[in-house]
Amino acid sequence: MTLNTRKRINAETEPVVGSGRPGRDPFFLRSARRLLREPLVHFLVLGAALFAGYDYLYSGDRDESPHQIALTLDELRQLGLLFNAQWRRQPTPEEFSQLVEFKIRQEVLYREALAMGLDKNDEIVKRRMAQKMQFLAEDVAAAREPTTEELKTWYEKNSDKFSLPSRVSFRHLYFSPDRRGARARDDAAQALAELAGQPEESTPTESLADRFMFQDYYADRTSESLAKDFGPEFAVAAPKLPLGSWQGPLESGYGWHLVYVDSLTPGRVPAFEEIEPDVKTAWLGAQKEAAWAKAYREMRAKYTVLLPAPPNSDTVSVASDTDTLTQGSGAPL
Amino acid sequence: MFSDDTRVLTGAALLVGAVFVTAAACAEEPNPERNAYFGETHLHTSWSLDAWVFGNRVTGPADAYKYAKGETIKHPLGYDIKITTPLDFMGVTDHSEYVGVTKQANTPGSYTSKLPEAQGLIITDPNSKQQQQRAFLAVVKLLSGPPVKALMSPKVAGTVWKENNDIADAANEPGKFTAFCSYEWTSMPDNRNLHRNVFFRDCAKVPEAPYSALDSWHPEDLWKWMDTQRKAGNELLAISHNANLSDGWMYPTDVDSLGRPIDAAWAESRMRNERLIEMKQIKGQSETHPLLSPNDEFANYAVWSVLLGLPPESGRVDRIVGSYARQALKDGLTMQDARGYNPYKFGMAGGSDAHNSASPYRQENFFGGHAHEDGTIETRMAGHNFAGIDVRYEEPGGLTGVWAEENTRASIWDAMHRKETFGVSGPHIKVRFFGGWDYDRGLLKDRDWVKAAYQDGVPMGGDLPSAKATAPTFVVWAVKDPTAGNLDRIQIVKGWSQHGQSFEKVFDVAWSGDRKPDRWTGKVPPIGSTVDIDKATYSNSVGSVELKTVWSDPEFDPSLHAFYYARVLEIPTPRWSTIQAKQLGIAPPDVVPPTVQERAWSSPIWYTPMEKARKAAKAGLTVAELKGRGATELDQKQVEALIVGKAHWVRNNVTGEKFKVSYSANGQRTVWHIGKNVPQPSQVGDVARNGYEGVTSAYSIKNGRVVTFFQEAPFEFAFYKVGDAIYGARSNEFGYANYEVLPKPVEFLNPLGKGEVAPKHGPVPPGPSPQKK
Repeated sequence: MTLNTRKRINAETEPVVGSGRPGRDPFFLRSARRLLREPLVHFLVLGAALFAGYDYLYSGDRDESPHQIALTLDELRQLGLLFNAQWRRQPTPEEFSQLVEFKIRQEVLYREALAMGLDKNDEIVKRRMAQKMQFLAEDVAAAREPTTEELKTWYEKNSDKFSLPSRVSFRHLYFSPDRRGARARDDAAQALAELAGQPEESTPTESLADRFMFQDYYADRTSESLAKDFGPEFAVAAPKLPLGSWQGPLESGYGWHLVYVDSLTPGRVPAFEEIEPDVKTAWLGAQKEAAWAKAYREMRAKYTVLLPAPPNSDTVSVASDTDTLTQGSGAPL
Repeated sequence: MFSDDTRVLTGAALLVGAVFVTAAACAEEPNPERNAYFGETHLHTSWSLDAWVFGNRVTGPADAYKYAKGETIKHPLGYDIKITTPLDFMGVTDHSEYVGVTKQANTPGSYTSKLPEAQGLIITDPNSKQQQQRAFLAVVKLLSGPPVKALMSPKVAGTVWKENNDIADAANEPGKFTAFCSYEWTSMPDNRNLHRNVFFRDCAKVPEAPYSALDSWHPEDLWKWMDTQRKAGNELLAISHNANLSDGWMYPTDVDSLGRPIDAAWAESRMRNERLIEMKQIKGQSETHPLLSPNDEFANYAVWSVLLGLPPESGRVDRIVGSYARQALKDGLTMQDARGYNPYKFGMAGGSDAHNSASPYRQENFFGGHAHEDGTIETRMAGHNFAGIDVRYEEPGGLTGVWAEENTRASIWDAMHRKETFGVSGPHIKVRFFGGWDYDRGLLKDRDWVKAAYQDGVPMGGDLPSAKATAPTFVVWAVKDPTAGNLDRIQIVKGWSQHGQSFEKVFDVAWSGDRKPDRWTGKVPPIGSTVDIDKATYSNSVGSVELKTVWSDPEFDPSLHAFYYARVLEIPTPRWSTIQAKQLGIAPPDVVPPTVQERAWSSPIWYTPMEKARKAAKAGLTVAELKGRGATELDQKQVEALIVGKAHWVRNNVTGEKFKVSYSANGQRTVWHIGKNVPQPSQVGDVARNGYEGVTSAYSIKNGRVVTFFQEAPFEFAFYKVGDAIYGARSNEFGYANYEVLPKPVEFLNPLGKGEVAPKHGPVPPGPSPQKK
């Protein structure tokens, strides 16, 4: 690549555009005028001037001048802003030169790579661009604010998503396999028999059983939290026990327990008003999902896909999600 | 009398009641004695470029949080996945760039909305199908054209980061589930893994854009940036991972990544920022390597020796030295002792590094971590080979455990910062570890032992207070995961440093059943395995639910720097590869063990000798001192004359161990007569076994130095002559000359009656002294 030594930085009269769009643009004119009044810009221009070995060339149309790299004032300003965001100070002239150098280097290598066709058939480039398609499609979906009515209707159809679990409060006695080995269950059963018929207040529960590593009383626990603390089987069984008496033996991941359930608060679905923000979040997620599925379906429908024929059979073609099966006439391997 | 009885009875009832009330309160109120919370600190979603490459194009951060909370989500290959035990906290650690553009364009007044490039994206009538169509076309045009730099500016790229953080905010439920603002800094110079995950304390204060490895691949620059953030009131910390794949670059001792000598400022900067390390993840463990810890029979676990993404024809081998945490902790002690700073006082964590927006944490629920690369049982069991990874070696993800007052960002982050953390290999094993000087032996009988442990000592991650007794005492306690295997044992791993050499020893301190520790080594025999490999089952008929003890270091030397951490082992259970081999009706793969002992690692507790104790100890001999005594270093010819084709006897003056070194004329070397149970200095490999088997390794002599390799790492040995004495210095011993060439062979290697090493684990038993092997 050759370096053109023509040097022009004049945003006031010749706005530079980085996107390959031809012609002048009022936005850049306005912003350039405003920028020129800012001290930061003065600094940046100074930094750019220091960078004497490089030239910032005006290019009206990038496609026509593949060997010109035009950096706009706005882009230079962005470099400075990015640095400032990271380090919370202005770059020194040397640092700024480096930032510009890095940017130019990236652009040079990018263009040389494009010229060599390195973007073609590159799996990573393909996948990255395909990924961007999804992000952008979802963004389109997220751009719209739902009305309360709309949310309410959606909530009514999906209220099961918001249901609150039931909660149980209980105390328990623990029978440790570490201490009792295989007898732990029988010991628990025997203790249950001893507890039966005794007045509750006088129950010397601690001496009957073993010390538990965690709590003796669990208040208002959901099944989910009990599963973390005791294992899933115990979490399912405990809330089903009758209230107000010692029950068991019940097995947990730690051994055997006798359980006394004090109270059970049944699960419920909260009213829309209680959880409107949650509904909105869930609605948005659903919209994104649907928008992407729809966008992809539409794009997919435009294509016919040909797969190589398996040995001794006709060409197989894959239909789009929506339907249209198009018979192909074979494809090269 | 009557009234007294009544009072007693009422008092007892009240007491019981009080216990219940306190316990109940613990569930919701902040618990000053702290609860264990388990979380994922390393997870990728389809938003990460490499995840996309692996084939995860489906699920994003929001799905990841759903999975962590216990909801069923889709594996990238379309099947349902559900976590075995939901987590208490998580930070998704994706990268962010160039997304969120359309949304920004449609936000009136936003930077993007004013860009001419974005005009086509703007929708004025939300219900207009036409406009949506037009906007999408504009998007397509945008993407098919040359890159639009205006849209890549930090203000736009920053919104993606913001989106990440918004999703974390939405998933965050204080008291129930904590979602962190976090990302991965992905530095990989020359296939060396130097990655760090960065965690912010407060999402409201995060910077506009995270500092990426594109800004700089040097960890030193990341720390500098983190310092800047902290000064501006934005607290953050980093967790390094896969030291095991860093080719020795994670834990340097001499030169940093910029080629500058490591100094106190470097150490401080590292410790300010890198509070934790990931001990285990899908790509193996970074605790230690069997060759670094030949006396640790449990070190042979989840070992990975891979440099990721190497071209298949590359002959490079991942370096062991500088790639493991235990060695770094030891080196840190020596650096503290020899140079006055320690860059390696980190705490323990665990993560998965899964790229499916979800990780398997359990052997029996294992679905791989890299979308289509390992997403089916057939791909896995066929040993799919991608990016240098044989899928069969993959491990379930690890997790980070923290001891925190409550499940909130501030509380959990603070626990991470003070290193009151532990790593687990997958199951939710809970481990507590406290160090102090006057813990009562019977402390654990007390219901309030945790309170006392905090009061009279320091929790894991801390420094022992000034010495008050002849040896420190540790309280260690572990409870199994209620859905996993029972516990086999608790070990305390001790590291210490003397005269530039560092040592390690693993003590069995609590174990299940009535096994008796070996009389001389103190090692507890292996627990019986209940695993049926053909059926891929195990039973909890062995092992313990809970293990605990108060342990005092029987070999404590108050003049030496030391660290202690706890390691908890489960009983053997079938590895996922064994379970899935059974499902396919094939043999379990022979490249990995059929069973595994899941484990937990506590953060260390450090001991620093008081100035007085340090000075009272006998000083070691340094090269500088030798030179001061007029010693001269042997040159090439003298060294050749001394060793080639010869053997000589050497004493390690730090340990007193005497051994023979042979240098064959063929350029091979081996060391003989090293005992199996004597602590060895660092990075010598399994010398006991090699000597026993006559295994040799190459040596060469360059510039008068004997160069040997420990795996990929070269070490130099220099000889110094002063008078008739010849001393040797090894290049990893921080300037000390710890070896002395003995004038004649040793006649009795273990002279009876004096000099034999007494067992230090317990009282010396009566009777005749045993012959040491």
